[in-house]
Amino acid sequence: MEWSFTPDSLSGYLIVSGIMFLFGILTILTRRNAIYILLGVELILNAAGLNFVAFSRFGNLGVDGHIFAVFIIILAASEAAVALAIILQIFNSYGTIDLNETNLMKR
Amino acid sequence: MTMSVIMFWIFALMAVVGAGLVAFLPRLVNSAFALVLALIGVAGLYWTLGADFIGTTQILIYVGGVTVLLLYAVMLTPKESTRVPWIRFLPAGVLTAAIGYLLITAFNGVLLAFDTIRGVDLTAPVPTADQIGNAFLDKDAYLLPFELASVLLLIVVVGAVFIARRKKEV
Repeated sequence: MEWSFTPDSLSGYLIVSGIMFLFGILTILTRRNAIYILLGVELILNAAGLNFVAFSRFGNLGVDGHIFAVFIIILAASEAAVALAIILQIFNSYGTIDLNETNLMKR
Repeated sequence: MTMSVIMFWIFALMAVVGAGLVAFLPRLVNSAFALVLALIGVAGLYWTLGADFIGTTQILIYVGGVTVLLLYAVMLTPKESTRVPWIRFLPAGVLTAAIGYLLITAFNGVLLAFDTIRGVDLTAPVPTADQIGNAFLDKDAYLLPFELASVLLLIVVVGAVFIARRKKEV
């Protein structure tokens, strides 16, 4: 299959999800704020879910990819809830959420 | 240029531009709202793929739930300087470019392999909610992961409340 950027080809969706994934990686690598890293993780998880649904459609696999996308959304919501609770607790005890200065879980 | 092509372009631009703004905007609140833009774009891409249920779930849970949680965390933490010094983009950019090269190579191989197993009718999408529900409640398909996910959500609710409560003394 050729590379093209149209809705009836797999490669268009692969391009979009690949760019989202790379922006997520760049966010995680450059930022030191814990919430920013969470934003980058959300971008990466969305790119993965988009790939699951795209492969499910163009590989003629029924709704299997959709179900994996549902699980990704469930896990991302859980991860966001727990991670934000931890971030609030870190802020309560350190007064900052800069990850360079918070290297202990307890003090 | 048909309607589906126009929709695909709009939603793809929303997703890509939103993700880029998350990576490059200097302030955390602006990045959180840029993430909303990217998430809505991804939901639209799900719809152009014929995945109506997943797109709606994405709007409900991500745009409605996760974003509100993130904004709460933004409001409860101080306004720190989150501007990135440009020198930090050099090593991160090199590493990201390397990962991007690997991605392009991998996708090239996948596209070559996909040439042979393509053969799906792309003209008429059908509603998927009933198929997904049947697959979740079929014990030969996804019943066990579905029940495990509900247990996981219970643990997450209890655990998040336990972690985030204010301690009496540290």
